[in-house]
Amino acid sequence: MKLGVKAAHPNTPSKRRKELRKNLIAYSFILPNLLGFAIFTLVPMVFSLGLALTSWDGANQVSWVGLQNFKDLLDDSTFRISLENTLWYVGGTVPLTMVCALGLAVLLNQPIRGRNLFRTIYFFPYVASLVAVAVVWNMLFFPSAGPVNEFLRALGVANPPRWSASVDWAMPTVIMASIWRNMGYYMIIYLAALQGIPSILYEAAAIDGANAWQKFRYVTVPMLTPATFFISIMLTITSFKVFDLILVMTNGGPGRATNVLVMHTYNTAFRQFKFGYSSAIAMVLFALVMIITIVQFTMERRWVEYSQL
Amino acid sequence: MNKWLNRRTANVCVALLVILAVSGGFISNRASAQDEITLTMSAWDVATTPYWQAVIDAYEAEHPNVTVELIDVPSADYQDTMNIRLSGGDDTDIITVKDIPGYSAMLTRGQIVPLNDLIEASGVDLSAYSGAAEELTYEGSIYALPFRSDIWILYYNKTIFDAAGLDYPTNDMTWGEFGALARELTSGSGADKIYGAHFHVWRSAVQLGTVQDGLNTIISDDYSFMAPMYDMVTAMQKDGIIMDYGELRAGNIHYSGPFENGQVAMLPMGSWFIGTLVAAQADGVFDFDWGVASYPHPEGVAAGTTAGTLTSLAINEESDNKDAAWDFVQFYTGEEGAKVLAGTGNLPALRTPEILEIFASKDGVPVEATDALQTTTVRLELPMHPNVGEVEQILNEEHELIMTDSLSVEEGLEETTSRISEVLQ
Amino acid sequence: MALTYILLIALALIMLLPFIWMFSASLKLDKDVFRFPIAWIPQNPQWSNYQTIWTRIPFLTFFYNSLKLTAIITFLQVATSSFAAYAFAKLEFRGRNILFLAYIASIAVPWQVYMIPQFILMRELGLVDNHMSLILLQAFTAFGVFLLRQFFISVPNELLDAARIDGLSEYGIYFRIMLPMSKPALATLTIFSAVFVWNDFMGPLIYLHSESLKTIQLGLRMFIQQYSADYSLIMAASLVSVIPVAILFLAFQRYFVEGIGTSGIKG
Repeated sequence: MKLGVKAAHPNTPSKRRKELRKNLIAYSFILPNLLGFAIFTLVPMVFSLGLALTSWDGANQVSWVGLQNFKDLLDDSTFRISLENTLWYVGGTVPLTMVCALGLAVLLNQPIRGRNLFRTIYFFPYVASLVAVAVVWNMLFFPSAGPVNEFLRALGVANPPRWSASVDWAMPTVIMASIWRNMGYYMIIYLAALQGIPSILYEAAAIDGANAWQKFRYVTVPMLTPATFFISIMLTITSFKVFDLILVMTNGGPGRATNVLVMHTYNTAFRQFKFGYSSAIAMVLFALVMIITIVQFTMERRWVEYSQL
Repeated sequence: MNKWLNRRTANVCVALLVILAVSGGFISNRASAQDEITLTMSAWDVATTPYWQAVIDAYEAEHPNVTVELIDVPSADYQDTMNIRLSGGDDTDIITVKDIPGYSAMLTRGQIVPLNDLIEASGVDLSAYSGAAEELTYEGSIYALPFRSDIWILYYNKTIFDAAGLDYPTNDMTWGEFGALARELTSGSGADKIYGAHFHVWRSAVQLGTVQDGLNTIISDDYSFMAPMYDMVTAMQKDGIIMDYGELRAGNIHYSGPFENGQVAMLPMGSWFIGTLVAAQADGVFDFDWGVASYPHPEGVAAGTTAGTLTSLAINEESDNKDAAWDFVQFYTGEEGAKVLAGTGNLPALRTPEILEIFASKDGVPVEATDALQTTTVRLELPMHPNVGEVEQILNEEHELIMTDSLSVEEGLEETTSRISEVLQ
Repeated sequence: MALTYILLIALALIMLLPFIWMFSASLKLDKDVFRFPIAWIPQNPQWSNYQTIWTRIPFLTFFYNSLKLTAIITFLQVATSSFAAYAFAKLEFRGRNILFLAYIASIAVPWQVYMIPQFILMRELGLVDNHMSLILLQAFTAFGVFLLRQFFISVPNELLDAARIDGLSEYGIYFRIMLPMSKPALATLTIFSAVFVWNDFMGPLIYLHSESLKTIQLGLRMFIQQYSADYSLIMAASLVSVIPVAILFLAFQRYFVEGIGTSGIKG
């Protein structure tokens, strides 16, 4: 995508009319989605983010406080901790989930027996209800007698980690759960994209004498870049917004060891009724995500190859 | 300024209502037969908690023109959901108040109606709630009336005591005696391990014992007073007298499991657990004998001093049927409601000897219950305070750190003190 | 090849282990669910748990509501998203980049932040406690537009230009070329939307009051009560609730298998 598409300079009436027609057709495609999206998402969103400059308790009157909420963030230890935890979580989940998802997709795109079954199984964790997943995961990683630690002890680890019951291991436990849950999801996107690679490209590569690795490196990877681009953006954004999984697994604990930004936003809004302050936290999160996303978009031209055969 | 305006409008509303109610008194009596009124009421666990509907049925039988609809919200998400809905202008008539942080949130934001004038007009006797009404009073106004009140007591497994050849706990036991007894009761290892006692993961399970003496409350500017209790509990944990906190938390382990499996000799827990145990025993889930005693108390504090929680009813500021709602609230929190509640195996806030008798005579309730439920002083688990939600969150976080041994008792309580002081100033 | 199978089966076991545990727990008495060491095969299997979930709460009604919402919202999402995505991917128009950026930006704002204004809006429209509120809130997603745009964009322009020369309108191209060529992508979005709606908890929690309108995820939480939780029933209900999604997934598999291959694409 070119970030700055130059609008054609219409100089004759017929050109202008043609231009207008073109625009109108495009808008007609977008309109059904845009209308609903603008009314039910965009407007409430802008309203909420605007609250960042105010003080509001969710019931009484809204009062303007300017940048005070942002100043208060500097002294908020929970904000600092949840920001660090969020970055830690994003740094842990994004690359690992992508690698796992790609690996699974390539593995399952081969002509093997029972491939539909395998795909379904790998997608399963994403489908299961989160409450059940949290319970099961904590059971498997139960410190004293859970299967994971039994296994580690059998391997000779005398003091296996206490996982979600320990301040140091809670975040890695959550990250593992998240990868386990999400890799099947992104695998699907890769699978769909793999289907879009024309087999003629592989045939051509075979004629040139390419081996399996070379085919993967020089055909598959470049052809998957639009999907990879999409996944890297979506995964980054959703990881920054992580909430539900942590809520049910650790509820931000022990202490504040797994508290993340959205959890802090939620708590300040619905438990402490500082809606303005809560919006300010969300603004910081939003700014952070947007900077990263825009950087990703500007880099897009360098590495994403939209196939033009 | 805003607050003042809000309270004033609220007061005007209530005053108008009272005038309406009083002046319309005889008219509404005549009109009541044909005026169909539908009230809505928020509640939780409706499918598994019989008393909600039972009291409503009793009310509807007396008031055929009124229909009360329950709005069921999952209990774990109850207060958050209500906060979101009320902020969005929800008009459910009767709001059930589940805990003090929720109560505080709703009243400080003018979402529930002060009841003082209605109480005066209807002649409700608040002293009948033995202190509970005072606990709900904030700056001279009361915004909810309690219908259910639970206190903390001690459950014990008689079979384990018999096997160890020890006497059952008495209604006058100090925490020190409790700790020593728990050590004596602990035995075995692996799958056969018997734990002398069980502390559930809640912060309150440990902290309530520190405020029984009435010298301190849960909202404080110095938490060092909690050290002795934490020292005792963490030592018990280290020595394997109680189950490990981190594991209970990670494994989502509910206190009923270990107790019903006969792994635990003594369990300090709320009186609501009586009903659960009675039902489980009747279903054949376990087959040992159990008993109840008064909650242990610190040295020098009168026996029968315990902590409790209240469940109460409030009226939504946005309700269109405030007078009908008030009539229903009176019924629910009054004697008729209390009788129905006791009949379903729950402890009503209004406890006359007659009502307690209904409760204790239920099948399966241990004979000790009548004495164990006698209290001298009941302190609220959390006092009313505008910042109580934020304070509670900090208390929970620091409790976790102490109990998972991430911080020493001293460090944890120091951090609690400094973080909470910041909130309170 | 044997190595591939060993790897696949080992991975499948890791993915399934939690489900095996869920199944085992669903056959236990509640007090035994969290007992250690884990008894993978329950001594006295409680098959009645699978009956209880339908009688304790109106699970069948919830099931129907979830199916209904999932079907309607998924259809609307796929329809409106693919329509908009075509414009973003293949048409040039004024404000395209700004608008697209606004779509992406909206994904970056956590939903929790704007729940209240949305609720106020729905209250004003009188749609609280009505399935329509959830349909309107969830049918128009930025996610779907972004996902499909990424797939549409890699359909060769030459193909579209050829169709334009043949006199096909943009609508014709969308229906006759874009949609048929993007089956894997459409299948992907269908699955994602369906799973999202099926598993959504917060939306129904806030908007649906009446028992007759509630969904399966709300039903699951009904087994967690104030002072107790029936985890064996939760596990049984969770497993049952996974079945429709698994069926949907298996049914849509063929779109991943068939793919578009080289059909119709010649440089």
